[in-house]
Amino acid sequence: MAENFLERLRTLNRSVAVIIGGLLLICAMVVLADIVLRQLGHSFGGTDEISGYVMAIATSWGMAYALLELGHVRIDLMRTRLAARGRSLLDVLAMLALNATISVIAWRCWPVLERSINNSSRANTPLETPLALVQTPWFLGWVWFAIMSWLVFGAAVSLILQGKFNKAEAAIGSMAEADTLS
Amino acid sequence: MIAYVTAGLLAMLALSIPVGIVLFMLGFGVDALFSPFPLTRGLGNMVWSTSNNATLIAIPFFVLLGEVLVRSGVAARTYAALDRWVSWLPGGLVHANVATATMFSATSGSSVATAATVATVAMPQAEKLGYDPKLFSGAIAAGGTLGIMIPPSINLIVYGFLTQTSIPQLFLAGLIPGLLLALGFILVAMLICMVRPELGGERRVFPLREMLRALVHLVPIILLFGIIIGTIYKGWATPTEAAAVGVAGALAIAALFGSVSAGMLTQSLLGTIKITSMIMLVVIGASFLNFTLASAGLGRELNDFLSGLGLSPLATILVVVVIYIVLGFFIETLSLMVVTIPIIVPLVVAQGYDPVWFGILMIVLIEMALITPPVGLNLYVVQGARKNGQMSEVMLGAIPFVLTMLAMVVALIAVPDIALLLPTAMK
Repeated sequence: MAENFLERLRTLNRSVAVIIGGLLLICAMVVLADIVLRQLGHSFGGTDEISGYVMAIATSWGMAYALLELGHVRIDLMRTRLAARGRSLLDVLAMLALNATISVIAWRCWPVLERSINNSSRANTPLETPLALVQTPWFLGWVWFAIMSWLVFGAAVSLILQGKFNKAEAAIGSMAEADTLS
Repeated sequence: MIAYVTAGLLAMLALSIPVGIVLFMLGFGVDALFSPFPLTRGLGNMVWSTSNNATLIAIPFFVLLGEVLVRSGVAARTYAALDRWVSWLPGGLVHANVATATMFSATSGSSVATAATVATVAMPQAEKLGYDPKLFSGAIAAGGTLGIMIPPSINLIVYGFLTQTSIPQLFLAGLIPGLLLALGFILVAMLICMVRPELGGERRVFPLREMLRALVHLVPIILLFGIIIGTIYKGWATPTEAAAVGVAGALAIAALFGSVSAGMLTQSLLGTIKITSMIMLVVIGASFLNFTLASAGLGRELNDFLSGLGLSPLATILVVVVIYIVLGFFIETLSLMVVTIPIIVPLVVAQGYDPVWFGILMIVLIEMALITPPVGLNLYVVQGARKNGQMSEVMLGAIPFVLTMLAMVVALIAVPDIALLLPTAMK
């Protein structure tokens, strides 16, 4: 059951990653159009600002995908020397550290958005973007990452309790091992 | 405080906690132990201001450019073409790794992306042709570091921005040292394979006609380099915008080869998101740690230490070099630059050194940091592209190239014109 659940999370986050990847691609095309228009004497203005927002949103929403693909860098010098049980212990420890930290980040990001909502803040730029408009998706991305990391953690722990160390490692291990497993 | 951070860093990294998370946790620790006021309250703002950044969007753009080139087959064709030209040397394909990395560095502003690109096309060949995995993957990790030396370069953009140095001048200054390093890598790999031929795999000689015909496959990369650098020097685009132009150029090239499809685009975007997220977690973590360190007075601690020594200009540079080598073992490269530039660059410039020259020296030191364990992003990227084998093999394989970079550091200090010749001539 835990395996199916993990697979579903992976599919879900792959879709998220494709969407934000598409957002980046569109952003690149807008920048290109702006360069061309500038040569013709026009300009949208504010492409830099839009790029910044896209980067912030893409960053927060991409994190969970990278987690599920074991993309976040870990130093496995010591880890690889351990037996399956020892590795699982380190994986659980690493996940706990990650989950706690990401939860703190998501929690600390809320006041940034809250202030923008309460003050109806606008960016100090020609576009005068309402900050809540771009900070809401950014904030939700970090919340998403926090929720996903706890869900992955739960599924992996349940696999470990069933003695399925290999399966757990495929979910929360480090890159090299996961590749040899598949 | 320096001792606490160093010890904490090593302990948590050894426990295999993700690097980005370690940086955040160290930041929490510095806040709790050394700061008179609560800094973690600023965490949300740090995360927002670091990721809401039009300069950093160059990272996913350059990664995407690399992904598209790999999947369009351009990277594989470039690799095959360079194979025709360099595989007669002792060491064979190892030189194609360096040469392909050099060419990709000219279209990519990031060492990680360059290493990833070359690793993806080269790795399948290593086993097929019986190469020593250490030397082979070490050459890719080292060759990949050229991405930040040969223009365009994200790190030189950041350096120029923070030190008010001309970015086009920096780009010119990086060209000769970058090419010399590539040459150095090739010579070192050749020497190793002359002493231990079994490491190099088979040497192959191709007929001249085949070599000449292969040149066609180098055109797309050279064209792309021309477009990216051209738009910057013509003043049409900022270096960051040029990255977007590069993406469009790569897509156009892929379309010409008929290899753009929904599937290919999806895979490219997925790869881009994975690598970008990995980098950004570390960059944001580093910014947060830098912020807590700076607030708790690390700059003062370092400055007192350095100015208390009362050193000559040459001795200062040597101390700075040693500091970078030591920090480079542990700190991710962009963070290493960002944390040290405000303290070190004024110190060095006050001793009469040219900031453009020092920028290049710093890049060589940062390149070294990219391939020295335990924190060397390129080692991980290359390992990530391998299907099996130990991480430690890549680390061992990188050592000869680390020594080559060290020689480059000495050369740059002895003959500053290696970096300054082109910028002075073009002024």
